[in-house]
Amino acid sequence: MLRTAILGLPRQCQCGTSFTQFTTRRALTFSAHLPPSPPRRPHVRLQHSPSAAGAGPSQSARARAAGYEAARQKMHSQRNRSLVMYSSAAIVFALGMTYAAVPLYRMFCAATGFAGTPQVGKGKFSADRLVPVDDARRITVHFNADRSEALPWKFSPQQKFVNVLPGETSLAFYRARNNSRQDIIGIATYNVTPDRIAPYFSKVECFCFEEQKLLAGEEVDMPLLFFIDKDFVDDPACRDIDDVVLSYTFFRARRDRNGNLEPDAEEDVVQKSLGFDKFEHAPKK
Amino acid sequence: MSFGRPPSINVGFKVSPPNRGSFPLDHDGECKEAMMEYMKCLKQNSSTSTPCRVLSKQYLDCRMTKGLMDRDEWKNLGLTNLAGEDPEVKAKVSSRTDSA
Repeated sequence: MLRTAILGLPRQCQCGTSFTQFTTRRALTFSAHLPPSPPRRPHVRLQHSPSAAGAGPSQSARARAAGYEAARQKMHSQRNRSLVMYSSAAIVFALGMTYAAVPLYRMFCAATGFAGTPQVGKGKFSADRLVPVDDARRITVHFNADRSEALPWKFSPQQKFVNVLPGETSLAFYRARNNSRQDIIGIATYNVTPDRIAPYFSKVECFCFEEQKLLAGEEVDMPLLFFIDKDFVDDPACRDIDDVVLSYTFFRARRDRNGNLEPDAEEDVVQKSLGFDKFEHAPKK
Repeated sequence: MSFGRPPSINVGFKVSPPNRGSFPLDHDGECKEAMMEYMKCLKQNSSTSTPCRVLSKQYLDCRMTKGLMDRDEWKNLGLTNLAGEDPEVKAKVSSRTDSA
């Protein structure tokens, strides 16, 4: 009764399993023939087979050896099992990290403006940031305009460049003309080079990322209000920047699966217009 | 939801509008004169923006009046205390801003 009660105890841990298994068998017999523990790990007790209790010495020695062997194998199998578990966990983790790398990279770009990622956020546009730094060096912002071949528009900047001070909000204009005979919805992306100015280049309002519908034959002027954040003068990496290129690309718009408008162009072309063409982790979504 | 930024966890998981969004298109050219004056000023000043900021303020004021832009205080657009601003113009423009 007591023995079954002891045998029925739950095994607590794997490494203690062999211990409880062996001790319960002999729990109530205090035989003087208990074999000496071999010089191995202290927590491993060896099995003393009950059938050897009444057998001869050679048989008990063989049984002992078999018992040692069985215990060793059991220990090895447990160690192998845990090793397999750990290594498969490491493989799964590494595999998961490779999948997570793409959105994590995007997060990193959005947070730091790496690779010319535009920065959008309310804190950057508080009124005290929009004050010009009068004694700073002027920066020349060049304007560039591209369009996809599928878009029969004429799209060009109205000024080639503007010399601005950091912290000074400036206005610039682009002109777009729909040369076709249908109303076309276009959608624009933009990118700023060099990359290290991207965290400081902020746009208050522009004509990008939202649909712009031009009627057939219509010509419109598209303004954009931007500034270069005044922390730019404190950044040592940006000390030698005098020229910045702001580049817009207009695409034809189409509806994606969710009904949102997106550019009607190949993915790599769109990513190139956003400045991500040189990076391998390009494909989005 | 406007696309455009390379998708990140913010863009992909949470729908958020852009800061001030996009200028509505001026289909009828209502503010074209203000724009032409600004461009002329830029050409005269070798494309330096500081002398022409008064005109850019007038252009944006035209847009706000004609409903092509959300009316907002000038300090949120960084166009306060401009050098060379006519005080009458400033009063006229800022009164419109305050009344909005």
